[in-house]
Parts: sequence; C-alpha cells; structure tokens
Amino acid sequence: MPDVQSTVLEFVNKLRKRKIEGSQATAKCTVELLRSVISQQRVPHSNQASALIDAVKAVGEQLVAANPVELAVGNVVRRVLHIIREEDLSLATAAMAGLDLLDASDDDGEDDNCKGVGYSAMSAAVAAAAARSTLRPPSLQTLLEGTPESAAVPYTSSSGADSESKTADKSSITRKLKHDVIEGVNHLILEISGCHEQIAEQAIEHIHQNEVILTLGSSRTVLEFLCAAKEKKRSFRVFVAEGAPRYQGHLLAKELVARGLQTTVITDSAVFAMISRVNMVIIGAHAVMANGGVIGPVGVNMAALAAKKHAVPFVVLAGSHKLCPLYPHNPEVLLNELRSPSELLDFGEFSDCLDFGAGSGSPLLQVVNPTFDYVPPSLVSLFITDTGGHNPSYMYRLIADYYSADDLVM
Amino acid sequence: MWRRSASFILDDERRRTSNSPPMADNTTRAPFQNPDAISAYYQTRAAHHGVITSDWLAQAQAAVGGVSGEEHPDSSVAELGKEKTFNVIEEFNGWRKQPDLAEAVAAIRALAAVIRASEASTMMELEIELKKASDTLKSWDKTSISLTAGCDLFIRYVTRTSALEYEDFNSAKSRLLERAEKFGEISCKARKIIAMLSQDFIFDGCTILVHGLSRVVLEILKTAAQNNKLFRVLCTEGRPDGTGVLLSNELSKLDIPVKLLLDSAVAYSMDEVDMVFVGADGVVESGGIINMMGTYQIALVAHSMNKPVYVAAESYKFARLYPLDQKDMAPALRPIEFGVKIPVKVEVERSARDYTPPQYLTLLFTDLGVLSPSVVSDELIQLYL
Repeated sequence: MPDVQSTVLEFVNKLRKRKIEGSQATAKCTVELLRSVISQQRVPHSNQASALIDAVKAVGEQLVAANPVELAVGNVVRRVLHIIREEDLSLATAAMAGLDLLDASDDDGEDDNCKGVGYSAMSAAVAAAAARSTLRPPSLQTLLEGTPESAAVPYTSSSGADSESKTADKSSITRKLKHDVIEGVNHLILEISGCHEQIAEQAIEHIHQNEVILTLGSSRTVLEFLCAAKEKKRSFRVFVAEGAPRYQGHLLAKELVARGLQTTVITDSAVFAMISRVNMVIIGAHAVMANGGVIGPVGVNMAALAAKKHAVPFVVLAGSHKLCPLYPHNPEVLLNELRSPSELLDFGEFSDCLDFGAGSGSPLLQVVNPTFDYVPPSLVSLFITDTGGHNPSYMYRLIADYYSADDLVM
Repeated sequence: MWRRSASFILDDERRRTSNSPPMADNTTRAPFQNPDAISAYYQTRAAHHGVITSDWLAQAQAAVGGVSGEEHPDSSVAELGKEKTFNVIEEFNGWRKQPDLAEAVAAIRALAAVIRASEASTMMELEIELKKASDTLKSWDKTSISLTAGCDLFIRYVTRTSALEYEDFNSAKSRLLERAEKFGEISCKARKIIAMLSQDFIFDGCTILVHGLSRVVLEILKTAAQNNKLFRVLCTEGRPDGTGVLLSNELSKLDIPVKLLLDSAVAYSMDEVDMVFVGADGVVESGGIINMMGTYQIALVAHSMNKPVYVAAESYKFARLYPLDQKDMAPALRPIEFGVKIPVKVEVERSARDYTPPQYLTLLFTDLGVLSPSVVSDELIQLYL
C-alpha cells in the first residue's frame, strides 16, 4: 500500500507541475497507475466492487485536483469506474444464473426452504435488474421505484440460503472480479494506445483527390491521419496555420514535408483570407465535451468561425479518451490555462512595463496567454473518433456507453 | 406562390357567422367531454396564478386538508360504471387545484384513488379498470401533456409490476398505492435535482430572462439565491396570466433584484440578458418544447442574438408528440380579457401555448441530467421502455 501511495504522490506532482504533455500520454499514465492501485487493493468478501470503486475514486479525486484542465485524467478515472461497475454487474447476473441452477436441483427440500430460496433468487433478480438500471441513466421505471432497493447486495441476499457450495462459489467470484477488472483496464490501455491507427484508418473516406486541407498547430492524430491518406495514394495539399505563440505548426509542416506532402505555412491571421481556397479544416482536439463542444489549441475557434462563414466542413479528430461527460458552462475561463507571458513578449525589452516591484499596484501592461479555445458544437461538422465518424449531437451516446451516471461528480 | 387569396377571408367570415347557432350541439358529444374547448389545464394554471381571494383560500385549505385523499374515495365508494369514471375526473380536479402539485402527480393520485376504490380481485381486472379511468381522464382534457404522460407512466408501471408476480394480489395492490403516494415526493425530488444541475450555469453578475411561472425555474432561482449567487432577473409580464407580477412577488421575497418587462420589450432588453430560463408544459420528441404563449418568440429573439435558452423540465413531461408547426397540436384555448368590450366580429387569438423547435434551445435541465435537445428522442425511447 505505501508503495502505491508514493507512486500516486509522484504522479500528482508531475501533473501539478505540468510535466506530462499531451492527453494520450497523461491518459496512459493514469490508467497504469489505477491498474496498480486496483491490483494492490485488498478487497473484502462482500461488496468488493464498492471497495474498489472507493479506492479508485479517492485516487482519482487527487489526480483531477492536481490538473483540472487536463480532462483526460478525469475521463480515464471515470472509464475505470465504469469498467468496475460493469464487471460487477456481469458477475452478479452470472451468479444469479448459477443460483437458479442450484435452486433447480434443490427442489427436494422442504416447502419452506424451497420457497425461501426461490424468493431470494427472485429478489436477486429484482436486485440485479435494479443494479442494471443504475448503470443506465434513470428511466420512468426507476422514477416510480424510487431508489433501487438493496441494489448493492446481490451477494448477501444469495447468502441468505445456507448451502456450503454457494459460499465456495462466492470466494471464487471474489477473485474473479479483480481479475476481470484488470483485464478490462488492460483493454482500455490498448484502446488508448491504438487510437491513432483507428482514426487514421478512416482518412481515406474523408480526404479525396486534389483537395486542400487546413490545419492549425500540431497534433499527432492529424499527422497520422494525413499520412495515412497519403499512403493510399491520395494527392492533396496542406495549409498549416503556425499556431502562435508556440509555433508548433512549424514542426507539423516539417513532418509533413518529410513524408512527401505539399505544405504551405500561413500565419493564424491569414486563416480567414485563405479559407475560401480550402476544402476542409481538420484539427485535433484536446477534449470533447458532452454537448459536442471542443476544447482545442488557441486559434481553433477563429478557424471554426471562418469555416462556418465559408461553408467549409470543420472536422475534429479525437480519441475516445478525450470524450468528457461534463457540460461546459464557462469553458473559456474554467477549462483554460494561462501560460507564461514570456512566450509572447521578451522580458528583457518589456521589463519596465511588466515590473511589479516599482510603482503602485499592478502594472499597466497585462499579458494574456491562454492555452485553449472553446468551439461550440454548432460550428463542428464531424467528429472522427476511433469508433467512426459522428455528428456533434451524437456525442452524448458515446458518453452514455463509456461512463456511468453515478461517476459524473467526483 | 400559393398565398392566401381573398376568398379565404370571405369564407372565414361566412363560417364564423354561421357558427354561432350550432352551440346547442353539446348533447351529441360524450357526456364527459369538456364543453367549449377551453383548455382546463390552462384554466387551472390561471386559477393558480390568479389573485388570492378569500374563497380561493378556503378552497385551497379544503384541498390541502384532503391530502390523504380520504374524503374523495368515500364519495366514490360502491359506485361502479359511469359514476365511477365521473369520480375519477372529480378526484383529479380536486388534486389539480392545489397550486403546488404538479399535474402528473395529481393524475397519479387520482388513479391511486381508483385502485383504492376498486373491487377487482386480479391484476388483469385492476389493469383494465385503470386503463379505462386513464382514458377517461385523457379524453376529458386533451390539452394537458403532463396529464397524459402521468397516466401513461403509471399504467406502464402497473403493467411492469404485475409482471413481477407478487404472491399476493393485496400486497401488489398496496405496493402500487404506496408508490403512487410516493410519486409526489419524487416530483419534488426531481425539482431539487434540476435545481442542483443548473447551479453551475448561473454565474455571479448574470442577468436571467424568465418567461412564465414555472415552479421548477422558481426552484432553480431559489437555490441559486440560497447559494449566495448575485444575479438579477428580468421577467416578462406574461399576459394574460400575469405570471410576471407573481414571479416578481416571489423573487422579491428572496431579495433577488427583479425587473418587469412588457412581453413586447423582450427584444429591446435582450442585449443585456445573459441567458433565458423557461419551464415547459411538455417536451416533444423532436427536442422542442410546448410552453406558454410567447416562449417561441423569446427563443427566436435569443437565438438571433446568440443568447442561450435553457429549459427546465421534469422527465415525466416528455411526450410522444411530434408537432410539425404551431397549429399541429390539439388547440388549447383560453379566454382573454382586454379590459374593454371587443366588437363581436373581431377575432381573438386565444391559443394558450406555442411550440418552440429544438434548434432555438440550447440545453434542457431534467432530472435525468443535462441534455441537449437532440438527446431527447433517445431518452424518450429509454423512458418508455
């Protein structure tokens, strides 16, 4: 346990100091950390799913607090919680099915015993059904049911009957849950690592011959997307907006040229001028919110507005770990990070304006250097995730698949 | 191309003058049908919103006094057939008069009274009785969406519960009664959940435009005030119901700065507004809402000025309707007083509600969570599963 604690603290430090860059790397590290937390966690015999959930939640809260702007951390924690709940549920239904078989063989017993066992199996069925409904958002049925009664104790209701074979089954079930969860988490890690290839596979359907693509800043997903199309012998041109103040567009341009693509570098301010000559805008997202809004590198909102004005399709590439189940209510402020002014201005030249020491109160010159931009869903034409291409209004469906309603508030 | 020609106007006139005699047609309609096509739902709303007089108070006291529903079933004891169904409507009206009770809750309480008074001995019989009662209620007031939804919800719940094969019919019956009574609490809980979900969207220093007097929106504003958020509210006058004055009364009790607007002053004030909050009488399959007359107008103005329009609605208001335009729903008419005598030949648009298409709405706050309008049809499928 202390071993895991120290790794958690180390990771929290790294997050706080922003030492890990990129949502994919962050997501992978977070999942691996949670995997070790789960495997180290000792679980009691009953209600082990809740023990695991509590452990993961505790660690998750620390991680999210360390870097609230890096939404991939919260996403991945919620994915793991969803995996735990799902595995628990499938085991419960399997156990119940197993119980039914045992009951069938039990019918020689006294009437009372039989009825009692039958009743407990039925209540287990009700409980399992209720538990299944807690994974989905509430429905009219659960509205009238109120809170699902005894949804959390399918095991103890089955242990009401006292046959030793059943308790033997239970202990094998306890080991199974952890094992299943770790398997699920491994699957998640593979998914996160493989998102680029999955997305790049779809490139050929969207990029056609002799097209002009515009992109902004540098995204590895976009790079692989464009290269996949190039490999399938599509010939097209790319305009890269440099993405001030970090000028990562320059790096992307170099990579593209190395792979043999005709590239043009333009300034961010030239986007509106060039947009009429462009067939499609493709950008990578930092995060995708539940309403279909996109958090991307600063400058994408401008590109999106320009694209809307000229009816150019605006395509966003995002791996599934970037899908966030939260609704943005003030994303420009709350989900943004202000970086150092040194990226914009040279401290040497401006030392007299930026000096806090001399004079009264705050200096007259303020520098705002936001990292991210928010694009409302009405400006986005298409999302390409590792599961395929989707409408912005479809995002909630994916979110319902990947996350449970109970985990939204951490 | 195909504009209204003058012949339409002449035909209209002719029709109207010939319409005044056949008012004695009431006997041909079913005896329990609501005469005059005045929407009882909106009349009740008006009654809720009306000026408090002493006899209204007395009526309210009487209604609240009968909360455990003991008075009403006594009157319906041992009557079967026609008189039974008549009592369902009376029952429902009794519950509906309470100003704080949601429409669907009143419907479910009325159906619970039917169960209590029922003499059925099997679940099937009970279900058939309930279905008949629910059909009667629905046909009595076709314009109330919550009523229809509440009835449908309860009938579906009964069918599902009976499928679970309770050993004892009486225990099943008592469970249904218990759940029906609890539904009132659930409705209150739904309002609290919605209030909690919408708190993040109200920030300090914002200006909120409110139209109509929705109890859910009031709950939202109350909770925001309790959380010490500083905001101000512009409320529309809301003719002919006068919802603006009532809302401003309530809000001034909570020390929230309120400004009253004429309905026509909405576009004028829209630039200082940060967001629009409305309730809904019903949420339809397309993701649009049916609400008090004027909501569509405000949503149009807000959309053109890029202001978000937020709708607060409980999930039982989701209805299986898909209106294609404003006239595509059952007409819900209300009497409108202008204070002066209007010449007989002058027509008055008396519709009490309008339909706001989903593209003008930003988000819906429901007890199922925050939804964008496109999610509604998906949720509907799940809800009615």
